[in-house]
Parts: sequence; structure tokens; C-alpha cells
Amino acid sequence: MEFTTKKAPIVNNSSRSYKRSLLLHFTLIFVTLVSLGLQFYVNSLENAFNALVMVVVSVIVAMTLELFYALGEKNVRKFEQYKGFVEPINIALIIALLLPAATPIFVLILATVIAIYPAKLVYGGSGYYIFNPALVGVLFAQISFKEALTTAVGDNLTPLMMLKETMYGTTHNFDLLQLLTGNYIGLAIGTTCALLLIVSLVYLCISKVVDLKIVFTFLLSMALMSLIIGWFNGYWINFMIVNLLTGFTLFAATFLISDSVTSPTSRETKILYAVIIALMTMAVRVLGNQVEGIVFAILLGNMLTPWMNRTVKRSSKKSFLTTIAVALVIVILAGVGLGLLSQNMIYPELTNIMEVLS
Amino acid sequence: MLTEYKKLLSPNKVHLPLTDSFYKIATAVVKAGEKVLRGQIIAYKENDLVKTPIFSTVSGTVVEFKQMRDRYNKIVDHIIIENDKQNEDVEYKTFDGEVPTSVVISQLTKHGVNILDVDGIYTSLKLDSSINKVFVNIINVNEPFISTDYSYLLEYAKEVADGIKLLGQGKKEVHVILDKYMPAEPKEALIENLGDFDYKLILVNSSKVSGYDYSEIKKIVKEKITNDLHDNGVIYITAETCKVVSDVLRKGHAPFERHILVTGDGVKDNAEFEVTVGTPLYYVVEDLGGYQDIENMNVHVGDYLTGVQLSDDTFSITETVDAVDLSEFHEEPEEICIKCGECNDVCPAGILPQNIMDAELRELNLRIVDLHTDECIECGLCSYVCPSKINVLEWVRRAKRRTN
Repeated sequence: MEFTTKKAPIVNNSSRSYKRSLLLHFTLIFVTLVSLGLQFYVNSLENAFNALVMVVVSVIVAMTLELFYALGEKNVRKFEQYKGFVEPINIALIIALLLPAATPIFVLILATVIAIYPAKLVYGGSGYYIFNPALVGVLFAQISFKEALTTAVGDNLTPLMMLKETMYGTTHNFDLLQLLTGNYIGLAIGTTCALLLIVSLVYLCISKVVDLKIVFTFLLSMALMSLIIGWFNGYWINFMIVNLLTGFTLFAATFLISDSVTSPTSRETKILYAVIIALMTMAVRVLGNQVEGIVFAILLGNMLTPWMNRTVKRSSKKSFLTTIAVALVIVILAGVGLGLLSQNMIYPELTNIMEVLS
Repeated sequence: MLTEYKKLLSPNKVHLPLTDSFYKIATAVVKAGEKVLRGQIIAYKENDLVKTPIFSTVSGTVVEFKQMRDRYNKIVDHIIIENDKQNEDVEYKTFDGEVPTSVVISQLTKHGVNILDVDGIYTSLKLDSSINKVFVNIINVNEPFISTDYSYLLEYAKEVADGIKLLGQGKKEVHVILDKYMPAEPKEALIENLGDFDYKLILVNSSKVSGYDYSEIKKIVKEKITNDLHDNGVIYITAETCKVVSDVLRKGHAPFERHILVTGDGVKDNAEFEVTVGTPLYYVVEDLGGYQDIENMNVHVGDYLTGVQLSDDTFSITETVDAVDLSEFHEEPEEICIKCGECNDVCPAGILPQNIMDAELRELNLRIVDLHTDECIECGLCSYVCPSKINVLEWVRRAKRRTN
């Protein structure tokens, strides 16, 4: 018999990091399968088949890259179990789900390579990356192959684009049932069916995989801001519903912003992080040309995370409540500001003031 | 899980360590070969501030001075005394009835009861006018491996109540922390013995791991509490300490026995023990029927969140040992920190263990100071909640060592 002093017989609570990523993994696979079925129903068989090929190719590329990198590092042992493949597969699935169904395969392969190698492995692999790898890949594809992706979507207007047009006079009708079931052609494979995403979000919240603080702050501030902007534009609650159910909003809340590695670590900063992302998303949606601004918003949030982590020194109930109050004020002010800007109510005033001054 | 309540009061030899984590220097006043009585002063230990006597816990002959491993896993000088099993005592000075606070203090100091400590939150015992609150934690260790029945409280309810009264006399607020779901019998015994003494009960649910004592004290003190609760005018003690206080005054000496728990699947039997202070652990294990036939043994002394790992079983039971866990080493591999921030949320002191760990890994000294690392009370909750099974407490301890 020998005595060891390696680790105390500490009884931990039952949650495990690996179990969490596995639950996320299964949810993602479930969402992927349902989305592929939906593509077949809404789009065409051809598109559904293309989407299936995309998913498979993306997963294979991600797995091979990780394996080759591990071979180079002489660290292949973790791939003896399925455990090692969970994270690359998750990233690959998210990339495939965030691109349109008719994306050329070479664009997808490039996006996956960018996501796995420069955005993840270069930073030190799982647990160390700064930007959400999947989003870096998607952004790369969106910016570099804009034309290929636009032709892939075709002339179909996504609900958000229609919403944008209604702000400038055109009328469109939205069917709530269609939005909930995803019965329309969207900008991406996996982000259309709101019902499916809500179910997975609730499941992930119950199993404590995603952080409730981030997700709920994000959704609440999105709702509040779009409600205010909608009120300024005379739409009232419909504007909010469309904003929450479409775009990548629910997909981002479920799989992207709550990724614990790229989000801050203390209660206060988590609230601020979610609010910043919500604010940026709404700003890009209302003011910018790129309607799906959430990708930029999340990457900006990721970028601010190390800095936010450095600013906090301690955490207490009082500072937590203060942060919530401050966040609420910011959200309301931003909503009012964006609402005024969207109605062109600020520019004329400003020009008037400038004229008077000069 | 626990089966018996055992007494083990006459070891052949006792090993008494001369220094510990607080007292760094010691002077022996006996020589090898000399005969000592029970309760006789054999050495003085001191640090910069305090000088405290060490008492012999058996009567017999001093055999030798030897460097051995103590319960903090450090090699220190021990006095080894052979027990003649006669139990010859020195003459004790006892007090009956009501005792003024000043006498309580002087007697406690004389008997070496200087620091009262509950899991890292400690009070230096200066019962001067600045102390106005006394917290008594009577929740018996309610932990996965160490679940005791309340037999200790049942047996010593009178002494515990007496200790509470002695410390809480004067115009001090006394709060007794009890478990909501504790059995009725020991609770009634305690309440009956406390009689019409003025105190308040705090009932907590101790099965939920959340650092309840810290938050309860904070709620009542209404200010930021430091590691040394004396600064906040608070004494925080356990049932065990109450009995020590009572014994010092009523019997004239601090108890020569220590109440410990020996648990775990590494030994043939588990038991609650009353052991003479200075008894080596292997003697206790022998009494339990020896070790199970396993390869890697883990000896863990103290609380399951905050205790110390030891590399053998030769250390002796001192006043500071409350539980020993002897179990098979189960390896659970650590995973990478996923920065979920659960340790930051749970920390009762309100500091950020994850950020401290990060700063320690990068050796950023200024950042460690900035993060209020010195306020850590080493409760171990951060290691408990970690989903990646990282021993966060150990990293924070390392960082804390940089700050002083």
C-alpha cells in the first residue's frame, strides 16, 4: 500500500464540463437533423441534399484538421475516445447551420478550415480561443464570398429584410405560424425554425449547459429594445416578435453567445456582455446594410471579453444589482436613440442646430 | 455509515508536536528521561505576539525529542512521552458558579486556548470590550464522508451550554447556528441546558453547500468581514470549543482528549473516537482493525473541502484535527477551465477565484493583489462547484501566499 497526496477526496458536485459539451453536442445534432428535414419540406430536395452534403463535409474537414494538428503536436491520445471529436463536430455543425442551403462546397470547406485552424488551434485549442471559432468561419465566408452566398439565397427576402423594407414604406405580411415553424427560406439552414430553437434553449437551460444570466439578459434586452424601436415606428409588438423569432437571434442565444469560453466570468460582466451584444445587434439591424448583424455583434462581445474580465475586482450582490440597473438604463436609452434614428428624427434636428451655430 | 462511538485513552506513547502553523518557535522545559505528570507544562511555543504553554497529556517519562511529520505535512520537532498509565495529575485550580470575563480570558490564555478557528474563519481570542457578538456553530460535520450523529452534543450538552454561557456573558449578543433538520433529542438537550440564558437561534439548511456561516455572520454584522473576525467584534466558535472553555474553568485544564472521526473505505471500520491528544494515527487505525487491501491510499486530515493531504500515517492527533479520512485514491482527471464562472458566483467572500487562478498562472503579482486575494477564507466551495474538476482552492492558496 502506498500513500498518495495527489488530490483530496473532494466530493464535487455532479456537473461535468464534458457532460455539458456532450449535451450541447446532442442538441446540435438534433437541431441539424430537424433542419435538414425542414429544408426538404420548405425548399427543394436538391437543396436538402446539398445541405446534408454540407453538414457531412464540414464535419469531416473539421475532424481531419484536428487530427492532423494533433499528429503534428504528437498528442493524438485524446482522439482515442469519442470525447476528442465532440468540439470539432460542434463547430462544424454550427458553421453548416449558419450558411445558406445552396452554399458552394469550397466556401464551406474554407470557412471550416478558417474556424478550426486560425481561430481555434492557433490560440491553443479548446478552452483558450478568444473568438467563437464557428463565427469567425461564418464571417469569413460572408465577407469573402458575399456574391456566392447571395446567389445561393436567391431573390427570396428574409423576414428581417422585409421588416427593414416596411420601415421605408413597403408593406409585407408576416405569418406568426410560419415564423414559428420556419416555413420560409431564410439566410441559413438551421436558424429558421423558432419552435425547435426554443425547445432546445429550454432544454439546455434546464440541464445548465448555457448560462441563464447571459441568455436571459440578451433576450430581454433584445425584446425591450425592439419594443421601443417598434413603438417609434408605429408597429408596437409585431416588430418585437419578428425581431426575436427571426434573424439568428434564437440560434445565437442557444448556441453562440452562451459559449462559456468566449464569454466573461463574473456575474456583472456577463450582464454587460449580453447587453452589449444585444445593443450592437439592434444597431446593425436598424442602421446598417448587413441585416444579420448578430455575427459582428457577438465577435465584438468576444473581443471585449478579456478587457471586461480585467476590469472587475470583486463581485457582490450590491454591484450585481447596480449592474442590472445600469444595463436597464442603457437598454432603454439605446432603444429610444435607435428608434429616433430609425425615424430620421435626429438628423434634421442636428442639421438645424449646426445651421444655427454656423 | 458510522457504527460506533469508541474511546482510546491510553496509548503507549504520545508524540506531541512543538510547533504548528501559527507558532513557529518552541522552547522545551523538560529533558529526556525526566518524569512528567499529566497536565504538566513541557514546553512553550511562541510566535511574535503570543507565548503559549504545551501540556503533557499523559503521565510518564520523556523518551526523546525527534523530528517527525505533523498533521500539516511538515517535519517538526516532537516530544515523545512514554505513558505509564497511572494518570497522575498535577493540581488544578478550578472555578465554580459565575466567573467574570477577565478570569475566563486569563485562564484560557494560561491554558493555551488563544485562537478559535472554524474552517479558515478565525478569531484571535481577546475578549475585550470590542467583542460584542458570539456565534456558536453547532452543526456537526455534515459531509459526504463524515456524517456524524449528534452523540457528541448529547453526551456533552451540559459542558457546551456552560461554555456558551461563559463566553457570552456580559452584554454580548449570542447566536447559536443549528441545522433546520437536526434530530430533536440533542437540540432539546442543548436548549434545556442553556435554560433562560439570552441567545438567538439561527436555523440553516446545511445539506446545501453554500458557505452559510459566512453569509449569516455578514448579515448580522452588517459590514465587510475580514479573515480575523476579531476586527468585526465577533467570536465564531464550535460546540467543541465551548466544551474546551468550560473544561478549562470547571476542571482546571484543557481536555486531554480530542473528539475525531475516522472515516473512509480504506479502513476496515469507521468510528467516532475519543483519542488522547498526541496519539499517532496508526495506533487508531490498528484499533479499527487495520487497512483494507488497496493500493493507493489517500490520507486527508480535516474538512473535506479545506483539509490537508498527508504522505503517511505516522502523524499524531492534535487539538486541531477534527476528522481523518482514509480512502482509496480515485483519480478524476482535470479538464481545461471552460471559464463558466461558477466559482465566481458561489464564493462567499465575493472574490473571483477564476480570475485569481488566471492571474496566478500568468504570475501577475499586481493583479493578484488587485483581486483582493487576501480575503479568501479557504472554504473550498470553488473546488466543489467546478465542473472541470480543477482544484481551484489550491491555485488561490498559491496566489494568497504571494500576497503576504
